[in-house]
Amino acid sequence: MESFDAMTFGDIARKPLTFLTMLVAAVSFTASPQAVFAQDQAVTAPVEAPVDAAPADEAAPAAEAAAPTFEHYGPDMIKGQPTPGGLGFQEQYTANGNYALWMHDAILLPIIVVISLFVLGLLLWVVARYNRRSNTVPSKTSHNTLIEIVWTVIPVLILVVIAVPSITLISRQYKSPPENAITIKANGYQWYWGYEYVDNGGFEVISNMLSDEEALSAGEPHQLAVDNRMVVPVGVPIRLQTFGADVIHSFGVPSLWFKIDAVPGRINERVLTIQEPGIYYGQCMELCGARHGYMPIAIEARPVEEFNAWVLSQPGGTTPELEAAAAAAEAAAAEAAAAESEAEPAADADAATPTV
Amino acid sequence: MAGAKNHDYHILPPDIWPFAGAMSGLVFTSGMVMFMHSDYFPNWHLVLGLGIAGLIATFFGWFSKIVNEAQAGDHTPVVQLHMRYGMILFIASEVMFFVGWFWSWFDFALFPSAMSEVVDGVWPPKAIEAVMNPFDLPLLNTLILLCSGTTVTWAHHCLIHGDRDGLKKGLWLTIALGVLFSAVQVYEYGHAPFGFGGNTYSSAFYMATGFHGFHVLVGTIFLIVCLARTYKGHFTPQQHFGFEAAAWYWHFVDVVWLFLFITVYVWGGWGAEYH
Amino acid sequence: MATTADTFQAHADEHHHDADHKPGFFARWFMSTNHKDIGTLYLIFSIIAGIIGGGISGIMRAELAEPGLQVLGHVVNFLGGDGASFDQQGHMWNVLITAHGLIMVFFMVMPAMIGGFGNWFVPIMIGAPDMAFPRMNNISFWLTVAGFCSLLFSLFVPGGTGPGAGTGWTVYAPLSTSGSVGPAVDFAIFSLHLAGAGSILGATNFITTIFNMRAPGMTLHKMPLFVWSVLVTAFLLLLALPVLAAAITMLITDRNFGTTFFDPAGGGDPILYQHLFWFFGHPEVYIMILPGFGMISQIIATFSRKPVFGYLGMAYAMVAIGVVGFIVWAHHMYTVGLDVNTKMYFTAATMVIAVPTGIKIFSWIATMWGGSIQFKSPMVWAMGFIFLFTVGGVTGVVLANGGIDDNLHDTYYVVAHFHYVLSLGAVTSMFAGFYYWFPKMSGKMHSEFLSHLQFWIFFVGVNMIFFPMHFLGLQGMARRYPDFTAAYAEWNYVASIGYAITLVSVGVFFVNLIYAFVAGKKAPSNYWGEGATTLEWSLSSPPPFHQFETLPVIEDHHSADDHISTKPATA
Ligand code: HEA
Ligand code: HEA
Ligand code: CUA
Ligand SMILES: [Cu+2]
Repeated sequence: MESFDAMTFGDIARKPLTFLTMLVAAVSFTASPQAVFAQDQAVTAPVEAPVDAAPADEAAPAAEAAAPTFEHYGPDMIKGQPTPGGLGFQEQYTANGNYALWMHDAILLPIIVVISLFVLGLLLWVVARYNRRSNTVPSKTSHNTLIEIVWTVIPVLILVVIAVPSITLISRQYKSPPENAITIKANGYQWYWGYEYVDNGGFEVISNMLSDEEALSAGEPHQLAVDNRMVVPVGVPIRLQTFGADVIHSFGVPSLWFKIDAVPGRINERVLTIQEPGIYYGQCMELCGARHGYMPIAIEARPVEEFNAWVLSQPGGTTPELEAAAAAAEAAAAEAAAAESEAEPAADADAATPTV
Repeated sequence: MAGAKNHDYHILPPDIWPFAGAMSGLVFTSGMVMFMHSDYFPNWHLVLGLGIAGLIATFFGWFSKIVNEAQAGDHTPVVQLHMRYGMILFIASEVMFFVGWFWSWFDFALFPSAMSEVVDGVWPPKAIEAVMNPFDLPLLNTLILLCSGTTVTWAHHCLIHGDRDGLKKGLWLTIALGVLFSAVQVYEYGHAPFGFGGNTYSSAFYMATGFHGFHVLVGTIFLIVCLARTYKGHFTPQQHFGFEAAAWYWHFVDVVWLFLFITVYVWGGWGAEYH
Repeated sequence: MATTADTFQAHADEHHHDADHKPGFFARWFMSTNHKDIGTLYLIFSIIAGIIGGGISGIMRAELAEPGLQVLGHVVNFLGGDGASFDQQGHMWNVLITAHGLIMVFFMVMPAMIGGFGNWFVPIMIGAPDMAFPRMNNISFWLTVAGFCSLLFSLFVPGGTGPGAGTGWTVYAPLSTSGSVGPAVDFAIFSLHLAGAGSILGATNFITTIFNMRAPGMTLHKMPLFVWSVLVTAFLLLLALPVLAAAITMLITDRNFGTTFFDPAGGGDPILYQHLFWFFGHPEVYIMILPGFGMISQIIATFSRKPVFGYLGMAYAMVAIGVVGFIVWAHHMYTVGLDVNTKMYFTAATMVIAVPTGIKIFSWIATMWGGSIQFKSPMVWAMGFIFLFTVGGVTGVVLANGGIDDNLHDTYYVVAHFHYVLSLGAVTSMFAGFYYWFPKMSGKMHSEFLSHLQFWIFFVGVNMIFFPMHFLGLQGMARRYPDFTAAYAEWNYVASIGYAITLVSVGVFFVNLIYAFVAGKKAPSNYWGEGATTLEWSLSSPPPFHQFETLPVIEDHHSADDHISTKPATA
C-alpha cells in the first residue's frame, strides 16, 4: 500500500504538469496539505481489502475445480480503461459508442468550444474597444430588432443541428434485442456485482474488487480490477439486464458507452454488442452507500466458442445448444415435459433469491 | 413631517414570535426525529412536547397580534390587499404540495408493480382485499363538505349584509359540518379494510387523505377563530379579511377533497371488492 | 437622473434622525422586522455557511489530491466514529459531499441571493419602505437557521455505516430509506423541511411585495431587472418547493412508519422519488442562478453607462427560463431506464433553455457594446461571470443529449458542469453583487485593489479546480468516489492545487472586509457615478433605517427601459 502510494506520487511529480505545482509553490497553502499527506501515509492504517469475502469464497473455489483448462485474459488484453492524463472519452468498442463518440467529437465539442470562444472574443473586444478611455460617450442604443432575432434564431438552428444526431443516437440505443441475443443479468449488491447467466443455466458469478496489492501483482489497474470478471461473447448482441438487490446501483462501462441503473423493483434492459475481444473496466455509477467507490466492473469479452467453454467451466453452466440437445435426447425418452419444467423454475428461483 | 410615515404600508415594531416560532419548529422536528428513534433518545417526549407547545404558543401569540393590529386599524386597504395575495400564494403552494401526493397515487395506480408480491401487477394491489365503498361514507363526506361550502358562503353573505346573527349561524353550521367530516373520517379509518403501510395503495391512500384531514382540522380551527372573533364583535361588512381567508382555505380543502373522492375513492378503487 | 436622485437624497436627509431610530441589540437582530437588517443577517449567515461548505470541500479536495484514503479517517475520528474502519471512511465521504452540496445550495447561495440581496434591494428598487410582511420575513430567516442547525445535528448521530447522513444532496431512495438506519438522515430531511418552509414564506413575501408595493409610476415594465429576477425566482420557489416537501415527507414515512412509496417490496418505486425530487431540483438550479442574472444586468448597465439592451427581452427570457425549467426535470434521470420517447422529449425540451439563456448572454454583451465601460471590481466580476457561466452552460447542452449523457451521467463531467454554473457562475455573481452593493449596505468603501486581486486569484483557482474535471469525466471518473485509479491522479492533483489557490482568494475577500470596516472610507450615496440609476443610489449609504417614508414617484418616460429617475412626491 505504502510503496504503491509512493509510486503514484512519484509518477505525478515526474509529469510535465509539475510546472503547475511550481506555480503554486509560492502559495503557502500548498505546502501544508502536502505535509499532511506525508504524515498520513505513516499514520493511516492500511485500507482493509474491501472485499465481501463470503460470497466470493463460495463461487471461486468451485469454479477453479470445475475449469482447470480455461485461461482468463492477462493485462495485455485490457482495452477499456482510462489513460493517465487523458483529455477525452475512452476509445469505444461498440457501434453506438463510436457513433456517440463521433457526435461528441465532431459536433458537440466544436460547437461548444466555438460558442465559448465567441463569447470570450466578444468580451475581449468590448474591453478593448468600449472602455472608458476609448469611448468616452456611451451610445444610447437599447434596441435592435434584427440583431435580437439573429441571436434567437441562430442558437435555434445550432440546436437543431445537435438534435438530429442526438435523436438518432437515442433511437439506436433503444433497438430491441434480436432473437439470438443472449441474456445476462447484472445484479447490484451492497457492494459487489453478481452476473447471472440467464440463458446458460442461470448460474451467478459474484464479482468483488481486488485489493490494491492483488491488482498490482496481476498487472491490472487498482480499483478497477476484480476477482471474477463478467465473461461475455464478442460480436453477439447481449440483452443486458440490470437489477438492484438492495439500493440503486448503476452498471457503467465508459469504453462501451453503456450505463444503465440497477434499480430495486424493476429490471432495466439494453442491448450491448461488443466489437472486439478484450477487457473493459467500468464502475458503479450511482451512490449506493459506504463502498460505492469499491464495486468495479470488469468485462472480459471472448469469442463465442471461448465464451461457451467458460460457461461450461462454471458450475451449472450450459449453452442453449447443449440444452437443446439434452432436451431432444430426453424427448426421445418421452420425458420432455418433465425436463423442461425442472430447468425453468431452477433459473427463476436463483433470480428471486437476491430480491428478498 | 420628519419621520412621519406618509404611506399606507404596515411598518412593524420588532417582534419575538418569528424567532420563537422558528426555534420551536427546530425543536419540534428534532423531537419528531427523537420520537422516531426512541431507542436512541428515550427523552423524546420532552423535546417533542416542548416543540409542539412552542408552535402552538407561536401561532396563538402571532395571530393574536395580527388580530389586534387589524382591530387597531393597521390594516389599511393596501395591507389587506397584501394579505389577499399572501393567502392566495400560500394556497397555491399547498396545491403543489398535494400535487406531490397525487403524483405518487397516479404512478402507483397506473403502473402497479409486477415485481412486488403484495401488489402483483394489479390495482388495487393484491394485498388489498377490499376497499371502502366510495358511495358509502366517502360520498356522505363529500356531501358534508359540499354543504359546508354553502354554509360558509351563507355566513359570508350575512357578514356582507350586516347580519351578524346569520354569520354566527353560518359559521356554527360550517364548523359543525367540519367536525362531522373529521369524525366520519376517523370512523372510516378505524373501520378500513386495510392497514396503514405495507403496500402502495394504503400508503398513498392514508397519506393523501391524512394530509387532507389535517388541512380540514386546520381549516376548522381557522373557522372557530373566526366564530370567536364574531362573538367579540370583530369583522365589519367592509373589513373582514380574516373571515375571507378562512373561507378561501375552506374552499381549497373542499376542492382537494373532490379530487380525492374522484381519483382515490371512486377511480382508484374501481373494480375492487367494496367493504 | 443623477440630479433628480440627488434632490430626493436631500429630502431623505431631512428626516434622517427619526428614521434612523434603531432598536436595541437583541430586538434589532433577533426580533427584526426590517428588511435591511434581515438582509444583513442573511448575508452574514451565508458567509458563515460558505466558510463551512467551502471548508468541507477543502477536506474533499485534500482526500482527492492523490489515490488512496488519507484524510477521511481523521474526519471520522473527529466526529466520534472509528477512523480505522474502512466502511466508516467510505461513509464519511458520502457525508461530506452531502453536507457540502446541501450547505452550498440551501444555506450559502439561496440565502445570499434571495434572502440577502433580495431582501436588501427589492424593496428599495421598487421604492417601497419595507417588505409586505415584515414579521414573516424574519421567520423565513430563522427557519433557514433552524434548517442549518438540523443539518449540523445530523453529523453527530448515527446514519447507517457511520455518523452523519451519507445520501448525497439528492437523498435518493432507497439508500436514504432502508439503506440508512439511524436518525442522521431524518435530521437532514427535516433540515430541508425547515429551510423549505422558510423559502416558501419568503417567496410569498417577495411576490406580494413586488406586485403590490411598487412606488407610483414603477410599472412592471420599468422594474429593474434584479427585481424581475427575484420575482421569477419566487414563483419557482413557490411552485417547486412544496413538491420536494411532499417527496421528503414520503421518505420520512417510508423510513419510520411503514409506508412503501419507494419500497419495491410493497410495490413502491424508487424512480418515483427521483421524479419528485427533480421536479423540484431542476427549477432549483434556476432559483440559484436567476437572481445572479438580475444582479449582472444591473452591474453591466451601471458600468457601461448604458441602459440594459433589450430590457423586455431580458425580463421575458427569465420568465421563459422559469417556465421551461418546469418541464425538463428528467434530464437528470437519463440512465434510470426511461423509455425511448421520454428520453427524446426531455433531450429536446432541455436544449430549448439554451435559447433564452443565449438571449441574456448576448444582451449583456450588447449592453456593453458602444458603452463607456469602467472596470470597477463589480464589473470585472460580472464579465468573469458571463464567460464562466457560458462555459458551464454549454457543457449543460452536451449533457442535455440523452444518448451522450449515458456516458457522462454521474461522472466528473457533471461535477464540472454544475460547478461552472454554480461555484463559478452563481458565486461569481454573488461576489459581483457584493462589491456592487457592499458600500451601500455598510457605508464603508472596500478596497478596489483587493477586490480585483481577489477576482484574478479566484479566476485562476476555480478554473484550475474545475476545468480538469471535464477531462476526468470524459475519461469516465465516477462522482461520489473517495478514491480513484491511478490514471485519474494527475488531473485530481491539479484540481486540489486549484483549491488552495481559491482558498487564497477567499482569504483576500475577508481581508478586504476587515479593511473596509476598519479603514474603509465613508461611502457617498452614489459611489458608482452616473451609470447607477436605480433607486438605491438615491439613498444615503447606508440607507436610513426606514427609507421612503414618503414614496418616491417614478417619472414617466417614453420608452420602458430608459433610465429610471425619481422625484419626491409632492405631498
Ligand atoms: C445554477 C445552476 C445550474 C444551471 C444554470 C444549469 C444549467 C443547465 N444545465 Fe445543469 N445542473 C446543475 C446546475 C445547473 N445547471 C446541477 C447542480 C446539476 C447536477 C445535480 C446533481 O446531479 O447533483 C446539473 C446537471 C445537469 C444535467 C444532468 C447531468 C447528469 O446528471 O447526467 C443536465 C442534463 O441535461 C444539465 C443540463 C443543463 C442545461 C442544458 C442548462 C442550461 O440552462 C444552460 C444554458 C446556457 C447556455 C447554453 C450558455 C449560454 C448560451 C449561449 C451562449 C447561446 C448559444 C448556445 C447554444 C446554441 C448551445 N444539467
Ligand atoms: C453553490 C454550490 C456549490 C459551490 C459553491 C461549490 C464549491 C466547491 N465544490 Fe462542490 N458541490 C456542490 C455544490 C457546490 N460546490 C454540489 C451540489 C455537489 C454534489 C453533492 C453530491 O454529490 O451530492 C458538489 C460536489 C462537489 C465535488 C464532488 C464530490 C464527489 O462527487 O465525490 C467536489 C470535488 O471536488 C466539489 C468541490 C468543490 C470545491 C473545491 C468548491 C470550491 O469552489 C469552494 C471554494 C469556496 C467558495 C467559492 C465559497 C466562498 C463563498 C463564501 C465564503 C460566501 C460568500 C458570500 C457572500 C459574497 C455573501 N464539490
Ligand atoms: Cu453500487 Cu454505487
Ligand atoms: Cu437540471
